[in-house]
Amino acid sequence: LNPKLIRELQNLLGRDAVLSAREDLLLYEYDGSVESARPDCVVFPSSTRDVSEIMRLAKRFETPLVGRGAGTGLSGGALPRAGGIVAVFARMTRILEIDAESRRAVVQPGVVNLDITRAVEHLGLYFAPDPSSQKSCTIGGNVSENAGGPHTLAYGVTTNHVTGLEIVLPGDGRVVRIGGKAAEPLGYDLAGLMVGSEGTLAMVTEITVRLSRTPEAVKALLAVYDAVDDATESVVEITRRGITPAACEMLDGWTLRTVEDFVHAGFPRDCAAVLLLEVEGLSEAVAEQAAEISEVCRARGAREVRVARDAHERDLLWKGRKNAFGAIGRLSPSYYVLDGVIPRTRLPETLRRIEEIGRDSGFRIGNIFHAGDGNLHPLILFDPRHPGEFDRVVAAARAIIEHCIAMGGALTGEHGVGMEKNELMPLMFTPEDLALMGRVRAAFNPDGLLNPQKILPLGKGCGELRVLPQSAGSALPA
Amino acid sequence: MKQGLPSDTQIARLEQTLGATRTATDPTSLAAFEIDGMRPGAAVRPANADEVAEIVRLAAAERLAVIPCSGRSKLAIGGVPARYDVALDLSAMNRVVSYDPGDLTLSVEPGVRLEDLQRELGQHGQFLPLEVAFSERATVGGAIATNAYSPLRAHFGSARDFVLGMEFVTGLGEIAKSGGRVVKNVTGYDLHKLLIGSLGTLAVITGVHFRTFPRPAERRVFTAEFGAAGAALEFCRAVAASALEPSAIEMFDPGAADISGIGTESGGGARAWRVVIAAAGSAAVVERHARGLERMAGEAQAARFEAWAGADAAKLLRAIREFVRIAREHSAEATILRIALLPASAAALAERVAAISDAHNLDAALAIGAAGSAGTGYVALWPRMVKRAEASSAPTAGATTDDEMASLTAAIREVFECASSDAGPARGFVEWCPTALKRRISLWGEAREDFVLMQRVKRIFDPHGVLAPGRYCGGL
Repeated sequence: LNPKLIRELQNLLGRDAVLSAREDLLLYEYDGSVESARPDCVVFPSSTRDVSEIMRLAKRFETPLVGRGAGTGLSGGALPRAGGIVAVFARMTRILEIDAESRRAVVQPGVVNLDITRAVEHLGLYFAPDPSSQKSCTIGGNVSENAGGPHTLAYGVTTNHVTGLEIVLPGDGRVVRIGGKAAEPLGYDLAGLMVGSEGTLAMVTEITVRLSRTPEAVKALLAVYDAVDDATESVVEITRRGITPAACEMLDGWTLRTVEDFVHAGFPRDCAAVLLLEVEGLSEAVAEQAAEISEVCRARGAREVRVARDAHERDLLWKGRKNAFGAIGRLSPSYYVLDGVIPRTRLPETLRRIEEIGRDSGFRIGNIFHAGDGNLHPLILFDPRHPGEFDRVVAAARAIIEHCIAMGGALTGEHGVGMEKNELMPLMFTPEDLALMGRVRAAFNPDGLLNPQKILPLGKGCGELRVLPQSAGSALPA
Repeated sequence: MKQGLPSDTQIARLEQTLGATRTATDPTSLAAFEIDGMRPGAAVRPANADEVAEIVRLAAAERLAVIPCSGRSKLAIGGVPARYDVALDLSAMNRVVSYDPGDLTLSVEPGVRLEDLQRELGQHGQFLPLEVAFSERATVGGAIATNAYSPLRAHFGSARDFVLGMEFVTGLGEIAKSGGRVVKNVTGYDLHKLLIGSLGTLAVITGVHFRTFPRPAERRVFTAEFGAAGAALEFCRAVAASALEPSAIEMFDPGAADISGIGTESGGGARAWRVVIAAAGSAAVVERHARGLERMAGEAQAARFEAWAGADAAKLLRAIREFVRIAREHSAEATILRIALLPASAAALAERVAAISDAHNLDAALAIGAAGSAGTGYVALWPRMVKRAEASSAPTAGATTDDEMASLTAAIREVFECASSDAGPARGFVEWCPTALKRRISLWGEAREDFVLMQRVKRIFDPHGVLAPGRYCGGL
């Protein structure tokens, strides 16, 4: 990297806000995915003005620039694939305003997801999107990736809870406010475009989020099955009946035993699958829905349906769910978390197909996922030290994703395309679709310096699809 | 009458594309496609996205201005077209392409009438929370392209919350898509969100993927009547802050209640403020709303609280859904402002709107949707009938006079000022108004800092400016 650029960054931000020593940069070459890419320099902006100036420097020195929150992303969105500057939002962590009456909060991008809820829960409010990493992931990253979580089944993903943004444009560093506190956009819905654009169109420096009212009643249920098919058929039936639980998660037997050994959540170790369901809302609705769900699950072969008796039991069940990846990390040198979506009616055959792919490829594939919205997270365990193993993982992953697409599904439900799946985009989109997306990106990011080589396929034309970068990290979330 | 001008050669090429039977050029047929006194030179009726693309490619090459439409109930929304050569009538694209009730997902063409669609979904115990004005004519494409107001957004959100993806044809005639058909999906840019409310200025919508919702077992409507705006809004805020989850909560000022006939069923006070609430769900859930709402209405000192079912409930739901149409039927020249409101700005507006209209010799009606939280306000303004009758020089029937336009212009400015708050200037626009007024004011107010981005988006989707030119904010 040009030493002059480093000096200018130091002058702008102070020496303590610029890292360029090799050992300091190591920490920023990973995220939660299996990818890695090393930055040439890491900076810590403290204000919108800083971000704007960094943007201008990137342009002046023709250096790539990538934003980063907590680095928990699962598709390499925050990794500097082409090197350059990584701007970490760890110093922009203020909650600027809480407007309880309008049910909005205005926050900086470095605010941790769960901290928004913590700041407003005394008002009977909370921030609905709840990715599993919510204790550490930041709202800036959530906005970039349009993050989801278990409870998005009933309440929608990040984009449904963001009404306004302050963004900094690549190139001239111009600061623009789009949307606001009001519920509907005036003019084209630029905030709708920006959320989920994976940091490739602009850098977000301020976010206005919608706050939701804490439900009056909550009930968590655990349905226990001796056959995976019975569990998936239950999900199909619950959906078909129009019951909308707040969350409907599935863990297969192997996964839940692994989790149970680590978390001691009270999952039965001898079953083939469980569904973890939650219903929320008015107490009358909660009671009725819980009864109906129990009935459906039993009719579809659940050997037992437990209802969490109190908040402690409920928290324990969720602790099991949300710490699952950590539990699995204890068993395997590495694992690859997939993210794909299918229509919910296709759940039973899809799980059978995943099992088949696991058998054929010789990998253990665990399943722990958002069954209620058909958002799968097959988890492939592997050892990157074995030569050639990563390539076989990639092939198995691709077979699963291709199955999702064949079912009428999508490449990613919440993790983003990033550098993980950009070469798979032609599975879902035509060259014309992709060309239009490319033009939209160029309209915002004309020099291509902001988060390059993400989302869209790199290769021109329709050559052989390259599935994934061949760099196998042993990136285990802490 | 200004008429668009595809040349004879161009018309011949349109006819070549679609056949003469689906290309109309006679004045009688074209009259139905008039917008702001402008008549296209041709109206074409494509049957699929390929035909739409072919027409738009021709238009792009020949720089013909195309305006998509279908039910034609909301074509008066938007600026006076800069040019209008071809009406792209999507009413033949009215198929339900796929419907998977088990997955609660649906794909439809833009020309599907919403009423037909709701009927089909109803057979499977489902519905789309898109209950919009002009219900017997409104189509999916128009409801999306105008981001039509639906009272159910208090609970279900607006189109951006339940549209899963779209297929469309850009101004270059490219067939493209974004999003998908599944309920959760973050693959690629959400380009379809840009099309919602864009009045056809970016692309022609050729397919929409929705998530559907289970139809509730029961629906009941409640009305509460108040002597003053403050008490009515206080009630709405209490409801919004409570555990209750009404599917709609609308506040009507005395003017709005009057033209909508709300209150006539119970013979309440003529100058009363009224809150209409819809609750849906199981019998127990609806009953809980009935109890809770009655108690809160009492605490807010409502003059009257009533529950409605059956035909009365349907009539009330129709009244809140059809507010803009009712106002336009009351006065064909009604100017209707649509403003995104926060609770504080809603209160200011409710207090002031009557005084503003009085000062300018206008009559006014105010309806606020999702009242009590971040919602939508509709302000309808029209010249006072009595003044019109007394005027010595009889104005041409239906035309707004210069004086009246000056009054309207001033009143619009004051309403927007009044709805502005600490959070910034009011976010709103003039959704409906007489053509003459459109030529005098900017319907979207002053350009904002994000306008430069909207221009960039427009240039990407429609570089030759052939899609509904001049209809959107800033003349996009």
